[in-house]
Amino acid sequence: MADRELTFEIFRYNPAKPEIKPRMQTYKLKETTGMTIFVALNMIREEQDPSLMFDFVCRAAICGSCAMIINGRPRLACKTLTSTLPRTIKLFPLPVFKLIGDLSVDTGTWFRHLSIRTESWVHTSKTFDPTKEEERMDNKIALEIYEAERCIECGCCIAGCATANIRDEFLGAAGINRVARFMVDPRDERTPEEYFEVVGSEEGAFGCMGLMACDDNCPMELPLQMQLAFVRRKIASIGLGIKQEKKIKMGIG
Amino acid sequence: MLQRTLSKSNKTDLYLDLVELASGLILVGFLWTHMLFVATILISPETFNSLSEFLDTYYLSYIGIPFVVVVALMHFVIAGRRIPTRMQEQRIIWQHAKMLRHTDTWTWVFQAITGMAILVLASIHVWLVVTGWPIRDFTSAQRMEAFWWFYLVLLLVGEYHAGFGIYRQFVKWGWFPRKPISYVSKAITAVILVLGLAAMVVFVQLGGTL
Ligand code: FES
Repeated sequence: MADRELTFEIFRYNPAKPEIKPRMQTYKLKETTGMTIFVALNMIREEQDPSLMFDFVCRAAICGSCAMIINGRPRLACKTLTSTLPRTIKLFPLPVFKLIGDLSVDTGTWFRHLSIRTESWVHTSKTFDPTKEEERMDNKIALEIYEAERCIECGCCIAGCATANIRDEFLGAAGINRVARFMVDPRDERTPEEYFEVVGSEEGAFGCMGLMACDDNCPMELPLQMQLAFVRRKIASIGLGIKQEKKIKMGIG
Repeated sequence: MLQRTLSKSNKTDLYLDLVELASGLILVGFLWTHMLFVATILISPETFNSLSEFLDTYYLSYIGIPFVVVVALMHFVIAGRRIPTRMQEQRIIWQHAKMLRHTDTWTWVFQAITGMAILVLASIHVWLVVTGWPIRDFTSAQRMEAFWWFYLVLLLVGEYHAGFGIYRQFVKWGWFPRKPISYVSKAITAVILVLGLAAMVVFVQLGGTL
């Protein structure tokens, strides 16, 4: 493994300079111990090509900004060790999202749109009283919410999903997972019918074809299959008029 | 947006999804039972014939065949709505599957392809059966001897489509975790395939002696 010389084939295109056509550019780099794709990209940018564009913020698999297609699969650059890859490494930007340049995409706009469509905030009639003690929550429910909340919005699930690749309006696993997060939250007062409005369509729970690339490519290993299935079952029974408990709240999985 | 707002019932997508599920389950159930029935030839031609006669006397085949044909057509139209029809979308899916090298994505691509193949092949099969009515060991043996290659393709394509189809529905609705369902559906598919192939061999041999 030591002393490998890595070959990086990197997608280059800057939409601001459309006169230069999209192309693949090759860089060579000596592998170092513990090298991640993110480290390698920084070295290439510092030593070989200052024009190379890619994103990162946290370098610790928390912010989700360094997601890209690494040898065909959506991965976080900061979490992917070069030692797990062959000598030749191909890098592409994530599909579906707006290309900013080279490996950099704008996932923010997509996820903001998602938040608005799924109304990702706690809908409550209670007025907030800053002087009062916080309401307590059942530990099991808190953990379920936390499980869904771990999503870092990197976009890997969307990039890996064939449906999301051809249908702009599809919420994808990240979106359906987000809905699941509010469905289990006891503070959210939305009725079952209101949830049906949000995801009871081809753009939501019924658009998923069960290809499971989201589940297989999630860098945070969220239980996306179970979340998708939970929302699908729940929304289907609401649609069929099967009587819900006063509120939707129910365990996932 | 006017046209969409006016035409859309908010339950349509749910109902379509449920019909896809129900029709798929019925067809898998039918296919597997069908193959078990065919495999009775392995016991003896008499067993095969008496089962077939039984189905005829009680009009089960006269009701069953048209019913399955209708369900199959329904399944084709409804599950087929997922298949991208536009050239560019097809190219995206193909490139996507090639890039991702992800098993479940590839099996879905083949699901779409085998689905369309089944529509054509199964129609021919039904035509051959109905024109050669009734189903007895010698009629089946004649068909099998003449068209064994056709039936080999139909068997493989059909079992592939059914096995992965039922796996995918279980995954989508989350009744069980993925791994065990994948093993179970593969195991059943393997058993049915072995039975089907064995039955084919017997029929071809019978055809030679008749
Ligand atoms: S840089 Fe934040 S997830 Fe990689």
